[in-house]
Amino acid sequence: MPLSGRRSRLALAIVAGSALLFAALWGRHAIVHAQSAAQNQLTVYSPQTSYSVPLLDANGQPYAGLVELLEPLGSVDARADGKKYKLHFTPPGGRPLELQFTEGKNKGKVRGNGYKLPANFVVQNGRGYVPLSVTSALIAKLLATDTELHAAPRRLFIGNVQVRYTLELHKDNPSRLLLGFSSPVNPSIATEPGRVRLTFRREPIVSSVGENVPYSDPLITGVSFSEHDGLAELDVTGTAPMMANFADGGRTIIVTGAPAPAPVAQAAPAPLPPAPANTQNPTPQPRQPATPRFLVLIDPAHGGSDIGAAITPSLPEKDVVLALARRVQHELANRGIAASLLRNSDVAITLDQRATSANAARPALYIALHAANTGQGVHVFTALLPAANLSPQGFLPWDTAQAAYLELSGSVAGSVAAELESRKLPNTRLLAPLRPMNNIAAPAIAVEIAPPAGTVDEIANAAYQDQVAQSIAAGIAAVRAKLPEVRP
Amino acid sequence: MTRRVLVMFAVLAIIALGLAFYALHLKRKVARDEQVAAQQQLALAPPANGPPTSVTLYVASDSDGTLRRTQVNVTLPPERTERDRAVLRALFGQYLQSSSPHPIGAGADVRDVYLLGDDTAIVDANAAFADAHPSGVLAEALTVASIVVTLNANDTKIQRVKILVNGQERETLAGHADLRRFYEASNIGQVVKDLQ
Repeated sequence: MPLSGRRSRLALAIVAGSALLFAALWGRHAIVHAQSAAQNQLTVYSPQTSYSVPLLDANGQPYAGLVELLEPLGSVDARADGKKYKLHFTPPGGRPLELQFTEGKNKGKVRGNGYKLPANFVVQNGRGYVPLSVTSALIAKLLATDTELHAAPRRLFIGNVQVRYTLELHKDNPSRLLLGFSSPVNPSIATEPGRVRLTFRREPIVSSVGENVPYSDPLITGVSFSEHDGLAELDVTGTAPMMANFADGGRTIIVTGAPAPAPVAQAAPAPLPPAPANTQNPTPQPRQPATPRFLVLIDPAHGGSDIGAAITPSLPEKDVVLALARRVQHELANRGIAASLLRNSDVAITLDQRATSANAARPALYIALHAANTGQGVHVFTALLPAANLSPQGFLPWDTAQAAYLELSGSVAGSVAAELESRKLPNTRLLAPLRPMNNIAAPAIAVEIAPPAGTVDEIANAAYQDQVAQSIAAGIAAVRAKLPEVRP
Repeated sequence: MTRRVLVMFAVLAIIALGLAFYALHLKRKVARDEQVAAQQQLALAPPANGPPTSVTLYVASDSDGTLRRTQVNVTLPPERTERDRAVLRALFGQYLQSSSPHPIGAGADVRDVYLLGDDTAIVDANAAFADAHPSGVLAEALTVASIVVTLNANDTKIQRVKILVNGQERETLAGHADLRRFYEASNIGQVVKDLQ
């Protein structure tokens, strides 16, 4: 039945209004999420490691989780009992220190002394949070060391870890800007015409020569330093395309003019005589192949919205394995073995992304860490794949890349199981159809910790995790000579 | 603010609420329909007649990470895929008991077993099988291994097995075991040797 003109206009207005209302609500939702993902984390730089701590917005200000903040710095045992929250923190080689707070109160105790927070303590899902502004003072009190918080850009420096830089402009043809760093750095580098941007996500770079340094040079016109969202950036601006090269083992980055693009090849070009040597403009030398190195890549499974197994209602697998991963990294470092974590904060990474990142890192060994509340002790896995005659030197099929490394993976698994046995930890060595291990083009094992003989809660016990981490590290150290070093 | 604007906002708010309730209603209806469809699917299975037959099950145990071979008596239908399904339902029946050494999610069931050629079985489990399965590398690996070796033990022609969930391919069982691939019975045999 046709509607009258007035009714149809009213219906149209209602439909349009509803659409606008939904669009406005949805748009706001999307913006809030985009902002929170980009800004709500604190980057912490300590002498041992750099890591990220997710922030929570509460009482109109950012809060940091105490466990996430302290766990990479030592052993943490935290419990929420109603509104009371108790945390024991043991720095490496130190004695346990106690922190006590009460939800909704700003007064607590740190190392037995009264401690006043600038805002009320927050407990959410059994986790304790303190205002971001107090994190620096709190860690200084616990570790008895200097700390420095850059609150707005979300960066916290523990100890004298800051890396400073110097600038040196050489007016050659073309001009060269030498950025010298007090420690080796490995920023991501983005170039666009007239600009080179160095982004430091893991390095504690701070400004030492002023935030903006202008140059009166025909090529390089200035350098600016900025820090935001837990990272630091150095922007080099110029009048022509530029490029950046590493030198001095990563302590120096040289920014200079990019070579002019080669002319577009013409159809049937005439043969050209060899070009005379140009001593004025030396052509860039190809980079020397990197030295092979032994890197262990630790992959704490799950993260973000993927919590993994619920070990207890308040203890997700993703947290247990991140804590264990940090312990394994520490134990490997004690044995002189470099290790990095595939995730060092509570972020979601898909299985394919994990495999891609792991293969790109070209590790000598990949370890996936899992936790479960079924079974007992430690389960050490290698990939369940049909034996295949694949050469690691050739192209490998994505779904069965691990098949080329099964023998070496088995050696590592056997060595880790033997170390667990020697520490009298119940253990089982098995094959498992586990992703992304099947896709890893390097020797790879997976370790799943289940509770020891006691209750499920003991899976997070610091002493138990330390024993497991020591077994893994000792097992790897024992077979290190068998595992080839890899060129990055 | 004029009365007309207020009325307009009230109308919009009522519409928004109405749409929210309608969306909730649709969600519940879909869940109800899926449940009814699953029940009908179970009811459609042909009744098995005849004497019970002894079948071999490889039953997993979480506490020691082993698969134990056991015999149970099951009345098997004459058709091959229905027999395979009945064997797997007997296996699931062991896991669904309250005293099971390897519990799986309540309501887990095998919707169907299909054959590709003579040697490849596609096991279509229901959503409860995966959604409520305990998460863990060992627990999931044991489930997959027990399904593959149990099928192979009772239908020796089956050499490859793939597991679907609700007719769809799924990345992992409960976050760990790979469900995208075909499992070779001979390859899984290694696990059984390791586990027993």
